[in-house]
Amino acid sequence: MFDVTGLHVAVGGAEIIKGLSLSVPAGETHAIMGPNGSGKSTLSYALSGRDGYEVTAGSATLNGSDLLALEPEERAAAGLFLSFQYPVEIPGLSAIAFLKAAINAQRKSRGQEPMPAPKLLQLMRAKAETLKIDQEMLKRPLNVGFSGGEKKRFEALQLAVLEPKFAILDETDSGLDIDALKIVAASVNAARAPDRGLLVITHYQRLLDYIKPDRVHVLAKGRIIASGGPELALELERDGYDKYVRAA
Amino acid sequence: MSIALELPTRRNEAWKYSDLRQAVGAERHVLRDGRDIIERLAPGTQRSVIASGETRLFVERMDDDCHMDARSFEFVLEPGASLTRVVVQTGKDLPLSVARVRLGARAKYTQFVLAFGGRLARLETHVSVEGEDAEVTLNGAYLAGRGQHADLTSTINHQARGATTRQLIKGVARKGGRGVFQGKIVVERAAQKTDARQHHRGLLLEDGAEIFAKPELMIHADDVQCAHGNTAGGLDEQALFYMRARGIPTSQARSLLIEAFLAETIPASLPEDLQDELTGMIRAWLAEARS
Repeated sequence: MFDVTGLHVAVGGAEIIKGLSLSVPAGETHAIMGPNGSGKSTLSYALSGRDGYEVTAGSATLNGSDLLALEPEERAAAGLFLSFQYPVEIPGLSAIAFLKAAINAQRKSRGQEPMPAPKLLQLMRAKAETLKIDQEMLKRPLNVGFSGGEKKRFEALQLAVLEPKFAILDETDSGLDIDALKIVAASVNAARAPDRGLLVITHYQRLLDYIKPDRVHVLAKGRIIASGGPELALELERDGYDKYVRAA
Repeated sequence: MSIALELPTRRNEAWKYSDLRQAVGAERHVLRDGRDIIERLAPGTQRSVIASGETRLFVERMDDDCHMDARSFEFVLEPGASLTRVVVQTGKDLPLSVARVRLGARAKYTQFVLAFGGRLARLETHVSVEGEDAEVTLNGAYLAGRGQHADLTSTINHQARGATTRQLIKGVARKGGRGVFQGKIVVERAAQKTDARQHHRGLLLEDGAEIFAKPELMIHADDVQCAHGNTAGGLDEQALFYMRARGIPTSQARSLLIEAFLAETIPASLPEDLQDELTGMIRAWLAEARS
């Protein structure tokens, strides 16, 4: 489903990702763990096509289609979703209007009709309710004045409504208290499906107590230097990243 | 060209014995700095008095594409009166407007100007806060396309205590377009407890766009809260990427961001259908700018 091979990424001329390879089959959830500065956020931005994140070598495909040849919006339409570590505030644009524009733009590029407004509203409201997002908040400008936890809940809402084929969750646990973490994790778990893959990027093992990964990869110095089952996350929590960073 | 030079002198045969330029020039010195030029160009001043306790809504449409369209207004709000004034300027030639607004105690004045610019469009508002505890909202948005000039100029003079003043002006300019905001807020010594905020944000959509801003705050009282801010720049690249990462193509994301940026100036107290109409006009302008 999601395959990255020999990926090199430079930011401002400095190479941050140095030959990263990763393969997530459909239906699986993988976790990337790594210390600060290991390249976690660079990886997620490069995969979603942000300006300034220059891929100098390697490939990334989603169900065989070459993501790196696509614009960010085309990657989204192809089924890629990035849950931002720091969701952006959009003054003056309501969450409803934003989601409507996103859904219909994706549908349009897939040759589908726009979703009828009542259906869309119903879908949003239902998903918002499971995430314990107040209906009134849907009318407020997106992320403006939202707490860290509310922003992350809105990212989870977008994931639930947009139904991507593959989602990258960048530090979804940051800014969440334990109750919000459980709610968001439940929503992410509900998004797990046989035809969908997830990549959870995190610094801490805590999130993985709630979103159980099939595989865990350790990212250090721009490369995956170890991979294993869920037990690897527990080992990292116990022993730290030191052993891996020194070996890298 | 100054109107003073247009005024006839004795050299004009029909005015041979009546030198209007000299008479006017001698009598009205303010003519020289243009402070009342629009009044003089207008066919007359329309005066409206809003009586105590009355609530009124005026919508003015300046849509003359072919001629100079000069208008002059005087609004007097008696104590406790409320007036909402909306000006929609679409006329492409010379839309010129001046409004002088006087507020009594607890009067509430809400204004929104939507200016699309013209050969030279200038919309002036001068507010005098004469009674205590008045409320002023003086918002506006300008959209200056190629070859268009849109000027929003205002003064808000606080002479009485306890006023709450909010001014949010935003504008966009394309290549060859020019937006102007001049806003002066004065707080006289008697106007203690004034709470005044003024913000102007300009968005330069392309290279070669021009935005000129001259915000001024003059405070002569010591127990007041005043804030002002003024910025000009480009679109928020982070917001743009965020929207694209959700599947919204660049041109649509830009339009949505600009629309949201400008629509923030539309007072929420306006009737909903009017808000929708104004937002629709902004959207239509952006759609045209995109094509």
